Amino acid sequence: MIFDGSILLVDDEAHIRKFISLLLRHLGVTRIFEAPNGQEALVVYQREKPDMVMLDVNMPVMDGIETLRALKELNPDAVVVMLTSLANRQTIDEAVALGAANYIRKDAPPEEIGRALAETIDACFESEDDPPAP
Amino acid sequence: MEEPLINPSIDLKGRRILAVDDDRINLRIIGGILRHEGYEISEADSGEAALEAYATFQPNLVLLDVMMPGIDGFTTCRTLKKTYGDKCAPVIFVTAKSEADDVVMGFDAGGVDYLTKPFRPKEVVARIRTHLTNQQLAEQQKLLVNQLSKANADKDRFLGMCAHDLRNPLSSIRGLAELMAEDAVGGMTEEQRDIIQTIHGASQSMLQLVNELLDVATIEGGHLKLDKQPTSVVEIVERSVHLSNMEAAKKESRIEMVKTDGFPMIDVDRNKMRQVVDNIISNAVKYSPKGSIIHVVIHSNATSAGFAVRDCGPGIPESERHMLFKDFGRLSARPTAGEKSTGLGLAICRKIVEAHKGSIAVENLPEGGAEFSVSVPLFK
Repeated sequence: MIFDGSILLVDDEAHIRKFISLLLRHLGVTRIFEAPNGQEALVVYQREKPDMVMLDVNMPVMDGIETLRALKELNPDAVVVMLTSLANRQTIDEAVALGAANYIRKDAPPEEIGRALAETIDACFESEDDPPAP
Repeated sequence: MEEPLINPSIDLKGRRILAVDDDRINLRIIGGILRHEGYEISEADSGEAALEAYATFQPNLVLLDVMMPGIDGFTTCRTLKKTYGDKCAPVIFVTAKSEADDVVMGFDAGGVDYLTKPFRPKEVVARIRTHLTNQQLAEQQKLLVNQLSKANADKDRFLGMCAHDLRNPLSSIRGLAELMAEDAVGGMTEEQRDIIQTIHGASQSMLQLVNELLDVATIEGGHLKLDKQPTSVVEIVERSVHLSNMEAAKKESRIEMVKTDGFPMIDVDRNKMRQVVDNIISNAVKYSPKGSIIHVVIHSNATSAGFAVRDCGPGIPESERHMLFKDFGRLSARPTAGEKSTGLGLAICRKIVEAHKGSIAVENLPEGGAEFSVSVPLFK
């Protein structure tokens, strides 16, 4: 198991949600919530308070960047990983500037997605296990 | 296409000719001949008047007398050429029969032809028709080139959109099949596993094709953006050799890096350059028989650096060499273990290398096999 927290998966394409959630379950993540757009994601986020959000960039209703901005307003410490298909430098830079923890290419093979996800989890959660500095 | 196709027959009726002569009688004669042919005529009796008339009349052709009071024909012509550049209508000089030197000077001033006085109507009509036809053909050609480049850009955009929309579903199919094959949703029978692996393999090669088509569309559409950074050739090649060795092991082949002194630095987009190295090395594995050893050499000189990959394949037949770096330029050689080829890989490599102002080349080796070599300018 790489992670015992919960993840909110936001993507407008059902097959992507199915693929990523199966991959997450395969990796041992048991609590997965899904939303098809940014607007619904905000509702689910407030209700379920997930530990991490995986957020698609191109979505109707409310796109990933706008959603990221709203999530960070709700919770500045929210851990958000952007899901991209075509890594558009500009969009990624914008997301990172807004506080996204990482980005993952959803068109990568499963093991690569798993690796990127594990790295993000290490970077964002491992340090919390360490005793706080005096 | 929405644009009307070009009418191949040339109709010159209504074309505008500006006739310039200080001699009223000459103007009347030439005007009569040309109006009879269906041309629209505007007349000017001096160089100054001609420059003014040109601006409002926008002629398709100018008949210009050489000897005129005020500014002469040559000066008028030079002024027109300077003012209107490539768009300037062709100028035919009108000169007296005895003034042979005028002809030479006229061509120097930018004239396309000359007519001698007194006029022979048939000659006047024939020469003018020739130049108007030339001009019309040139215009049509320009229009056609514009239409074609627009159609080509539309094609690239369409290709890009299409590939983009196919990518996500395809990567989901591939990912889901892969997870199922790993028993992520429970075990299955041998036959089910075989089917899932077929789905995985097919979606994998389709995804590769789609990705390569997208690369071509991006590059051809002029949207290739290079994110250049100083990069070590050795580092980039070593990484690719390491990764490709896993693939090569499946064919009991091996990729060996020939150690060289020095660590040349190049200024490249790392991801794009990795794609080039990966592609050339994986081609070498693909087209060499099982159990081959592929050599990768780093090279550098005062201005450039790069790498060369020596395979053990059949080499490049001289008759197919011209297709090698072209889109869909699949050659007669086939991968030796049933691997897939889209015929786009090397075309993309060439485009990426050229975008870096580098070069890509292939040589057949005397001991058999081929050597693919890539060079890009050194980082300064």
